Amino acid sequence: MSAPSVNKGLTFAGSPIKLRNIVLFFAGVGILYLIPQFLDGKPFELRLLTVIFLYAVMGQSWNILGGYAGQISIGHAMFFGLGAYTSTIAFLNFGVNPWIGGLLAVAVSALAGVLIGIPCFRLRSHYFVIATLVVAESIFLIFSEWSFVGAAIGLELPIRPSGWENFQFHRNKIPYYYIALTMLVVVTIFVIWMERSKIGFVLKGIRDDEDAVRSLGFSPLRYKLIAMAFSAGILGFCGTFYAQYVLLIEPPTVLFASISVIVALIPIFGGIGTVAGPIIGSVILLTISEYSRVHFSGSGRNVDLLIYGALIMVFAAYCPGGVMSMISSLRARFRKGAV
Amino acid sequence: MIQVLKSIGRSFSSMKWPLTAVVAGSLLASPATAQETIKIGALYPLSGAVAKSGEDTLNAIKLAVEIINGQHPELNIPFAKTTGLPRLKNAKIELITADHQANPEIGAAEAERMISQRKVVALIGTFLSSVASTVSTVAERNEIPFMTGDSEATPLTERGYKWLFRTTPTSRDQARDFFVFLRDLNSKTDQKVKTIAVVHENTLWGQEFGKSMAGHFKDFPEFTLAVNIGYQQGTTDVTSEVQRLISAKPDVVVHASYDAEAILFAKTYKQFNFTPKGVLAIGAAFSSSAFRNALKSDANYFLVREHWALDLADRNPLIGEVGQLYQKRYNKAMDGAPARAFQAMMVLADAINRAGSTKPEAIQKALKETDMAPSSLIMPWEGVKFDAKGQNTKTRGIFVQTINEAPATVWPFDMARTKIVWPKPAQ
Repeated sequence: MSAPSVNKGLTFAGSPIKLRNIVLFFAGVGILYLIPQFLDGKPFELRLLTVIFLYAVMGQSWNILGGYAGQISIGHAMFFGLGAYTSTIAFLNFGVNPWIGGLLAVAVSALAGVLIGIPCFRLRSHYFVIATLVVAESIFLIFSEWSFVGAAIGLELPIRPSGWENFQFHRNKIPYYYIALTMLVVVTIFVIWMERSKIGFVLKGIRDDEDAVRSLGFSPLRYKLIAMAFSAGILGFCGTFYAQYVLLIEPPTVLFASISVIVALIPIFGGIGTVAGPIIGSVILLTISEYSRVHFSGSGRNVDLLIYGALIMVFAAYCPGGVMSMISSLRARFRKGAV
Repeated sequence: MIQVLKSIGRSFSSMKWPLTAVVAGSLLASPATAQETIKIGALYPLSGAVAKSGEDTLNAIKLAVEIINGQHPELNIPFAKTTGLPRLKNAKIELITADHQANPEIGAAEAERMISQRKVVALIGTFLSSVASTVSTVAERNEIPFMTGDSEATPLTERGYKWLFRTTPTSRDQARDFFVFLRDLNSKTDQKVKTIAVVHENTLWGQEFGKSMAGHFKDFPEFTLAVNIGYQQGTTDVTSEVQRLISAKPDVVVHASYDAEAILFAKTYKQFNFTPKGVLAIGAAFSSSAFRNALKSDANYFLVREHWALDLADRNPLIGEVGQLYQKRYNKAMDGAPARAFQAMMVLADAINRAGSTKPEAIQKALKETDMAPSSLIMPWEGVKFDAKGQNTKTRGIFVQTINEAPATVWPFDMARTKIVWPKPAQ
């Protein structure tokens, strides 16, 4: 970023966003809101876009902690799962409307994030990574055996009539698309704001040099906890969305390590610590995985997963900074060539 | 530049005629090949932890479709002698397969795609009950029949769905078989069984089984539960579990364990000289080839509740035919899971044939009217007939005992070729 993160007056303001970019952003969003009109009778494409939005949101939330604050977590499935379980249990046991359940999920996940963060943030770099992995695995095991939450069998949401008030849509799934898209727009605007706010500057400072930030009088722990709460809370709502979308949750699908890996992989692949990174990562990774699955998975030879895995390896080897770093280096080269 | 364009143009003009011929040829050929295939979507886990079982199971379904579509005058299996389904002008079945990756969300999405974009008339699958749960919901909403021959979780057919049909016994029915078997055994021997210990691994399958077992004691008051032990799947030490068993002194132990832990438990039993009257198990782990290879003669006398066994071929020639075909086609012995899936596909084909139509309502009606005799099945059941919830009510389990390091069917006693060894001799 162009604004200095450390200066005497400590004013925090990013360079103003260009009007052109604001117009482009909202024009793009407008087009996305119109797309479902053309997806009648195409559930595959509709679902693909819905899932891309969902994973982009999950990537954004991981990016707040992993990308901006530099605290790499591979245990984020726990917040997703906690969110899914919170709203589902609230609905099944207390009849709480899933929309309110979603807000509860945000609160529970954010609180869990803070409680887990307090001890884990005492650790740095790879020790922190291991701590997140271990905590997530413990939660997975607890939920697999705890009969109140359905143990390994999981919880099934009863089918209610389609409608916004029930957060369930059956024959026509376009509302899920709108909800996922709205989540993405809101979270992306939030991240843009956060990136340019004081919090964003301190988080980036922590990522680059934690001790320097402390020497300026900021508490790194406090800001890391704020990042964790944002990150976990957003994932909590994603969990509720997933539960309402699939209507069945079980530890292997909402709490398992594979979710932790994918939510980290998406921003890392797209461009860690950038606003567009998680969106680009989600679009590319999910498009490849879904199309290769549809076209090759039926053979039972796992060609789809081979293609997916090979692509990630090639990318990791040749473009470790993600798609965004590739774009900016290409742009730099183009500019140089033009001059 | 112009040179390049010209050469591209030339190559296009030289390609033009063969291309047209191909297009014309395919247009002419299409009416013959597109003649009314019956599209059925098959959803199985082909990647991940249960990929192997998913593949074996899907292979059995593919074999069933090959038998239905081709002409096999030498076989007595239904639909083998004719091509396709006779009542649908010999239309062939086209199987559309997909990997659901053991993920209920992907399973539901694939089901939806198959129904609306591939126009399947029925679905079959899914091995995992969690995926069957979401797939059946999609099928119910879209009013497309969904047949499962391998998803066992009891609640699936408790939801009152009208488009879900299950040929395989539920996990509750399978647990019940242990009680029926032990009651039958008690009537035949002096070594009466009174106390039962249940040992199960703690993933979905084991937990379901443990629950199902516990639910049956009130219907079989002559038995009492000695102890119910759950353990973590993938554990490398079961000493404490075995010590708990020893102190509970059960007459029999009933297991739900996967391969590795089955071997571990059998070895630890021997180490601690724990000798109940019998060790019974659900699933194939205690009679698998891995188990027998690891334990040699110590693998003897364990009893396994199975769905199917090759040695039943003496009584039912269809079992021999299918078993041989499977072995020849996939170079692997058929076992219970593929046999069940094969049967489910056959039941579905039978219903579509009787419906004489690919309309989902007609297939659903025919499925509801299904009443198949044991002689047309490869499963040792009393038939296939669905109740109002879509559950087959005529299933039956068998018990297989490893004797001289080979599996042999020992129960039901009237089906058994080999006499049961009871109580389990101390080794």
